[in-house]
Amino acid sequence: MLLALLLAAGPALGGEAAPAPAVPRFVEETSAAGIDSTYAGGWEYMVGGGAAAFDCDADGFPELFLAGGEATAHFYRNRSGRAGPLRFERDPASGLERDAVTGAYPLDVDGDGQLDLALLRVGTSLLMHGRGDCRFEPANDAFGLQAFDAWTTAFSAAWERGAALPTLAFGTYVDRREEMFPWGSCTPNRLFRPRAGEPDRYGPPLELAPSFCALSMLFTDWNRSGTPALRVSNDREYYKGGQEQLWRLAPGEAPRLYAEAEGWKVLKVWGMGIASADLDGDRFPEYFLTSMADNKLQALKGPAGPDAAPTYADVALARGVTAHRPYTGGDVRPSTAWHADFADVNNDGRLDLFVAKGNVSEMPDFAANDPNNLLLQREDGTFEEAGDRAGVASMRAARGAVVEDLNLDGRLDLLVVNRNAPAELWRNASDTPGGFVAVRPEEFGPNRDAVGAWIELRRADGSVSRRELTVGGGHAGGRLGWRHFGLGADEGAEIRVLWPDGEAGPWQAVEAGGFYRLARGAAPQPWTPPR
Amino acid sequence: MGGNKARRRAAGWRAAWLILALAVLGASPAAATSTRPEPQAVLRDWYRLVLELVRHTPTYSPPVASRAFAYLGVTAYEAAAGGSDALVPLAGQLNGLAPAPARETGAAYDEALVLHAALSEGAASFFGNTGPTGQRAIAAMKTRVGERIAAGIDPAVAVRSAAHGRAIAAHILAWSAADGGALVENMGFPLAYAPGAEPGTWRPTSTIAQQQAPLLPAWGTNRPFAMPEGASCPLPPPPAYSEADGSEFRRQAEEVRDAVRDLTPEQRAVARFWSDDPMLSPTPPGHWISIALAVLDEDGTDFETQAETLARLGVALADAFIGCWHEKYVHDLVRPVTYIRRSIDPAFEPILATPPFPEYPSGHSTQSGAAAVVLTALFGEARAFEDATHADDGLPARRFPSFWAAAEEAGISRLYGGIHFRAAIERGLDQGRCVGAYAVALKTRAP
Repeated sequence: MLLALLLAAGPALGGEAAPAPAVPRFVEETSAAGIDSTYAGGWEYMVGGGAAAFDCDADGFPELFLAGGEATAHFYRNRSGRAGPLRFERDPASGLERDAVTGAYPLDVDGDGQLDLALLRVGTSLLMHGRGDCRFEPANDAFGLQAFDAWTTAFSAAWERGAALPTLAFGTYVDRREEMFPWGSCTPNRLFRPRAGEPDRYGPPLELAPSFCALSMLFTDWNRSGTPALRVSNDREYYKGGQEQLWRLAPGEAPRLYAEAEGWKVLKVWGMGIASADLDGDRFPEYFLTSMADNKLQALKGPAGPDAAPTYADVALARGVTAHRPYTGGDVRPSTAWHADFADVNNDGRLDLFVAKGNVSEMPDFAANDPNNLLLQREDGTFEEAGDRAGVASMRAARGAVVEDLNLDGRLDLLVVNRNAPAELWRNASDTPGGFVAVRPEEFGPNRDAVGAWIELRRADGSVSRRELTVGGGHAGGRLGWRHFGLGADEGAEIRVLWPDGEAGPWQAVEAGGFYRLARGAAPQPWTPPR
Repeated sequence: MGGNKARRRAAGWRAAWLILALAVLGASPAAATSTRPEPQAVLRDWYRLVLELVRHTPTYSPPVASRAFAYLGVTAYEAAAGGSDALVPLAGQLNGLAPAPARETGAAYDEALVLHAALSEGAASFFGNTGPTGQRAIAAMKTRVGERIAAGIDPAVAVRSAAHGRAIAAHILAWSAADGGALVENMGFPLAYAPGAEPGTWRPTSTIAQQQAPLLPAWGTNRPFAMPEGASCPLPPPPAYSEADGSEFRRQAEEVRDAVRDLTPEQRAVARFWSDDPMLSPTPPGHWISIALAVLDEDGTDFETQAETLARLGVALADAFIGCWHEKYVHDLVRPVTYIRRSIDPAFEPILATPPFPEYPSGHSTQSGAAAVVLTALFGEARAFEDATHADDGLPARRFPSFWAAAEEAGISRLYGGIHFRAAIERGLDQGRCVGAYAVALKTRAP
């Protein structure tokens, strides 16, 4: 926590300015790669527009799914070769290309080794069951998932201890039938838990009351207690009496909100997206909350640990990640932020931050030309803007995004979904020197992808980087697959998995430039892309 | 404090609106005709929407909100005065307001349609920068309620009435364009600002990047409505800045520190009730508009009285913010959180978010004082009322024996909240008395 406090105090305490981080170089390849998709629509599609990345044909290369709003969603098979130009092929036969889709999150619901997809929609959301080779079919009935009609805009999932199915949280928005007075009409968020006595089907939904128009949800082990809680970021435009929320989900107990008496501080923002990462090395995640005109980076205050109070300080200003106004293009009006993700885009061993930006819908008080942010982390923990220098400062109205290594060259590429404008795809063509390692934990039992685990990577200098494996967050979309770590100049590192049940795997060596499968109780298995 | 009653009232509002909406959307022409609203219902419906728009339009900080309430109040009043023998136009009384377009001699007008057209245009203009949901709501109110009002009306009268309402609105909008407050950039925060060098001057109090500069530093130079100029209600300086033990400034800071530390549940409730944060409430001026609407509703007042009340109150609130902002940037005083953390207690945490602008005087106090002056003049010194402004947000209603009791509670709430010293509150109320008197002096009734 001392480090956290020093960082919170800002770079002035660090004395000399930290050296500038290496700026990655992104090359726009949307059309050449075969991506042609627009998140289209009017008022009911002013939010949403998520994207998902996941490998459903077992070649290790992530496929892409892009929400389409009023238009049909698009699903693309990844035909890229390793380190080559990005190539995608639309596959309309997947079963995923449906209308009224706002977003999507991949996960293996039934532990059959085939990824499934939660499709968020205006109307009835769908759990799409993966049948292999990227074929999907609706499975609400098969899983006993009671259908509901809503403007669904957020999702997260986590396996509660011993459960055969993940607990699913669906976040919903405004009552779209309220025309003149929609404010205060937030519809219920729903929580689906496995049915008692019938563990491979879901029971009736629990309404997470009160609900405050969620635009992002994330199951996250904020206090490292081993039991994830549900963070919900809510849009204050529509709620009355609302705020950001943190739900405690003790096994077998009804969800309960953390209260002010427990240290939870009321925060009311235009909550649109959540990104989480342990930025300060204290083992506990920080949370970046996207909003309008101001974004928050929350760091835990006070003593950390399972008994910690959920009290957070906003360190966005000190860290240089307020991202509150366009930094290029001449529009000085406040920004509007949506999807966010921490990722090491220049492989220097430090997490950077991508933020998708775009006006809600002709709001003249906010920037019309609102470039995406690519905030590179410096050695001292502060960030500097590099979106324009890196080539991703698009002025289109962005919503969802995926930061992912799409051609398995160890450099993270970028897909951005835009509202009423074509999506954009950039290949990371950096010639910066940093190395990487990519790993994929594999768990026994129903939670095949070890959602809820933590991966720790220890570098030669003793520093430890961590990734919490989650399903949720961002804005209306997520990714599941290889977990990427930048290594800087290191030739290798040690890695271990803290499995969801709390077992800590051993530290094991991995080499720079490698892909590894990490199965519990086994040595890291090197994996080579097939093409 | 009557929370259940307040919730029932809020529920009643919703039920009433639902009935109205059902009538608009699905009723037969005959049924629609039978429920055709009177002008006072049109006025209340638009004000209900405007209170939501104020809350949900990011540029609508309290000063900006007060300006819209004034112009919309004058719009409704001038529309009403044109068709009333009881009301005297405000043209010639308000700074720069010329006579409104006249009605055709001998021609028939429908007052509800005149008003609806005027407020439709006014709301669409003053909230032209609201988001897509607000735009959708304005359009729906304009169209659906408009159709309902026009049902059964002679088409020629309907066309004439709507045209006249639009002309009134255009007249007011043209008047508003040059008052200095029409263009608000970056939500009112300058892109660059150099705080004063002296320790007693305002410093940013927020970690929000935008708020490293103070809100609307030039607002005090705007053209007022009834008050001659922004400097017309000056205040004596606040206690001299000092960090010395026993100084008046430190004593007032210690009072804030102690108040926050020792808050009773009732004081905490008071602080939260009057917090009226922009973008999370109808703002402080909207709170007083809400009070006025409740009183008007409870008294079953006629259209003329409603228009008169909302115009006078809107004018007083807008002038209060102009006068208050003028003094804020004359005195440029540090906020309690800055001083107390610097000189008394580094761990001091006010329970309210400190507003991002200088401390002296308290804006809520000035505008509450001005509102109390106007409403007392209209409804009497002992007019008790229940205030359920925040019922939808889960805050129980509070009951007050008079408007001044409410204004004084609004003032002291800022001390409980840890965001104002006592001097800013007491002198803010004094300034409100001065400002409100100008609105009270307006002549609205024909002899």
